[in-house]
Amino acid sequence: MTLTGWEAVFFWVFAVTALMAALLTVLARNAVHSAMFLISTLVSVAALFILLGAEFVAGAQILVYVGGVMVLFLFVIMLVNVGAEERGKEAIFNRTPQVVASLLFSGLLVIGLVIGINQGWRAIQERDERDNRLVEVQVRRAQEEQALPVAATNTMKITRDTERIGNSLYRYASLPFEIASILLLVAIIGSVMLARTIKQEAVTDDLDPEVLKEAAPLITERADLTEG
Amino acid sequence: MINYLSLLILQGATDSRVSSAWDGIKQPDLSKFLVIAALLFIIGVMGVLVRRNIIVIFMSIELILNAANLNFIAFSRYLFNTGSPNAIAGQVFTVFIIVVAAAEAAIGLGIVIALYRNRETIWVDEIDLLKW
Repeated sequence: MTLTGWEAVFFWVFAVTALMAALLTVLARNAVHSAMFLISTLVSVAALFILLGAEFVAGAQILVYVGGVMVLFLFVIMLVNVGAEERGKEAIFNRTPQVVASLLFSGLLVIGLVIGINQGWRAIQERDERDNRLVEVQVRRAQEEQALPVAATNTMKITRDTERIGNSLYRYASLPFEIASILLLVAIIGSVMLARTIKQEAVTDDLDPEVLKEAAPLITERADLTEG
Repeated sequence: MINYLSLLILQGATDSRVSSAWDGIKQPDLSKFLVIAALLFIIGVMGVLVRRNIIVIFMSIELILNAANLNFIAFSRYLFNTGSPNAIAGQVFTVFIIVVAAAEAAIGLGIVIALYRNRETIWVDEIDLLKW
């Protein structure tokens, strides 16, 4: 599996963009800037998915992450962060010893992972060179790609990626698929329950009586506010 | 002069070590994707460990999950090219990771809002109710 020509160029462009934007996500002082950099990381990673021939996952990534999750993040930042932004002088990182320790261990992790990946990849390559089955597999894949229909724009072929994901999802992963839908339902209900105000909890009679006694002035005050 | 330079470059290119590194850059393979995913993962871990803002910590968790996705997709492509019968499983798993990440973000941000309403803070070192 190697990328060549323009694919290689775009691989480096998007890989470097993803890494730089990820770094800036972690380093940016303003949380809104962090969210923007995270969006560019996610889009770059989606482009890497397309280079790897996973068009459906790339589309899902952009729709779900950029269109859904990041909008949710931005809403919460704007609900929560106004005071902290105005203060400005607040430290954005933990205390120095913690930062130094985590930098140290992350550096060790980087070195270990890069060495491990390179050695493992060399071993895999040696194994693949010994495997003479691979040549005919590559010939078969090339034939399959030749047989694909050409898109109307005449620039590329229409791949069967989405079709294969759909088949696999409903044939072999139908139970996890249903469990995922229940997970989403639970997440919706849970986040609605979590984000209620104390007044909404009091209205549905879902409060501890003692908490209600403490919060009573607050609730009436808020009721006055909403009526006024 | 130019001939001499091109000769030098050609000699450098035929030197096996230089050419293998240059080939690796010119033709990125599975290992390059894995290295990029590992670096993304580590940047995410750094974000979780280093930042004080709980929302940025959630974003770093999204980065970590995305690095895992990149790994899955890269291996899926590699296995497809080496003729594995069920190489698409990596992409299917990635879809599930995206679902779980969305659910996690929704719940986590709900908790952040509830927390902010009660404690008026988003700095994780001030959220120490469970500390003794």
